[in-house]
Amino acid sequence: MAGNYISEDERWDLVDKISGRIVTYGEYKQSLRDVIGELTVVPLTGIPVAIAVLYAFWSIFGSFAGALMTDGFMVKLFDNYWLPWLQSVWPDPGGWIYFLFVGDPAADNCFEAFGMLTSGLFVSLGVVLWAVLIFYLMMTLLEDSGYLPRLAVLVDTLLHKIGLHGYAIVPAILGLGCNVPAVTATRILETKKQRFMMMTLLAIFIPCGAQLGVMLEVIPDSVGWVMLYLIAGFAIFGIILDKIIPGKNPEILIDVPAYHMPVWNNVGKKLWMRTRGFLKEAVPFVLFGVLVVNLLYLGGVIQALSNFFEPLFVYWFGVPKETAGPLVAAFLRKDLAIAQLSAIPMTTYQMITSVVLISIYFPCVATFVVMLKEGWKQLLAAVGVLFCVVMIYGGLIHAIGILLGVA
Amino acid sequence: MDMKNSSNEKFSGLSIYVLVIGIVAFAFGCADILVWAGFSPGIEFGIMEIAGDDFFRWAWGGLVVLIGGVIMLSGALKAYEIRQFAKVTLGALMVLMIAATDLFARLCESIPAGEDSPEFFNSLGGFLSGFAPPYSPAIILLPFILVLVYLAVRYDKENQ
Repeated sequence: MAGNYISEDERWDLVDKISGRIVTYGEYKQSLRDVIGELTVVPLTGIPVAIAVLYAFWSIFGSFAGALMTDGFMVKLFDNYWLPWLQSVWPDPGGWIYFLFVGDPAADNCFEAFGMLTSGLFVSLGVVLWAVLIFYLMMTLLEDSGYLPRLAVLVDTLLHKIGLHGYAIVPAILGLGCNVPAVTATRILETKKQRFMMMTLLAIFIPCGAQLGVMLEVIPDSVGWVMLYLIAGFAIFGIILDKIIPGKNPEILIDVPAYHMPVWNNVGKKLWMRTRGFLKEAVPFVLFGVLVVNLLYLGGVIQALSNFFEPLFVYWFGVPKETAGPLVAAFLRKDLAIAQLSAIPMTTYQMITSVVLISIYFPCVATFVVMLKEGWKQLLAAVGVLFCVVMIYGGLIHAIGILLGVA
Repeated sequence: MDMKNSSNEKFSGLSIYVLVIGIVAFAFGCADILVWAGFSPGIEFGIMEIAGDDFFRWAWGGLVVLIGGVIMLSGALKAYEIRQFAKVTLGALMVLMIAATDLFARLCESIPAGEDSPEFFNSLGGFLSGFAPPYSPAIILLPFILVLVYLAVRYDKENQ
């Protein structure tokens, strides 16, 4: 061993010799992409660019998923062909099997029929699939072009105030498409504390694409208020969770690559993997969810729970007693629960409160299962936090309404 | 396009061009927001229209056009210097995003036939009429913005 020993000086001489042979020194020339890359992480220019990118993101999302696929083709396909065909071939419209699978015999559109093969298929394949597809495409383009790491650096300071770091923006944005992959995406966060916090905040305060789509249909003028309450709740309860949950919030340390054109082959592969994940994990749960809700309605369970929780909904949350049914059923189908709310007469403020409650109430069953995969202890803790948040925040929103004189 | 060796004529020509586009973008952005806020029931001028009927498009989208104009203006002075030109490119890209999403929205609305039609796809005539005037201010700015984007792409290619 002693014969192999070289001194520190000799070591540095060796480094110099090797680097002298293999490293070529030249003058660094800053490219236009480099400067644009720098400008997009500086708050003064980076925040406006983020505002523009998010606008483009949502505009393309709405145009493709809303105007083109759902309103343009799917509504027509399901309402003009699929529903009439099911209604004509299914025997015994008065029976309970018809109620479970096709729903209301008088319905003239799949959205309101509430059957497993009507509303269940329409929402999952006619609405959410296209929303998720375009959402993932946009996310992949942002990732592969090099913008997403810059957005993470830009929002890092803000998210550190609630104990998260910049990369928490990835599951947050993904959650707006579907909470199922978003929960899985929390694994990119470094500590247990950050992963738990993000998973909990995600399940409570980030509405998925299906919910957003239905909200835009049912309460287009109040979606802004609902989102405002959810963003405020995310910040308030983020700060509280950061204070009470033990653990570390390490600084962000990520590689920010130069801007480049995405490789379309990679984009296609990522898009396929993510969409396949949605089709495999979320769609069966949506269909199963509709079936279970219909069974609970048939068995009178929803009605019994509604009666039991009526005082809580009326006096604590300040919403009409009729909302108890949709709120209880929201565990399985949040989007359809919002659609059910539209049939209940109430004030605009009560409607906003009800939609916020549905959003912050228990995660949908598909998200619930994915959270369970992350660990049952975390799931139980998240459910505990969720219960406290619903009770406190629901009451607080009612109190704000009373103070404003609108509740 | 060599930024370092650019002549003064080129320098001033680009600066004036950016200055004009920046001011127009800023004015269009302000108009979008003001019409949305109710200062006017809507503006229709030649082939241009500001409807102001939607928060998302006219308030948020208008804000992007407005800030895009401001960022372009901040890079207008000595626009041939790389840092200044990067600001111009960034502002131009912001306005480009609004114009491109406006056109994409028209494309998505024009492909399917109307709700009451038994057909799934629009006729060729119906599809093309979806792109007829009036246009939003961002679309009207698009050809002028594309000049700046072309300069940026050319510069980037030459320096790869």
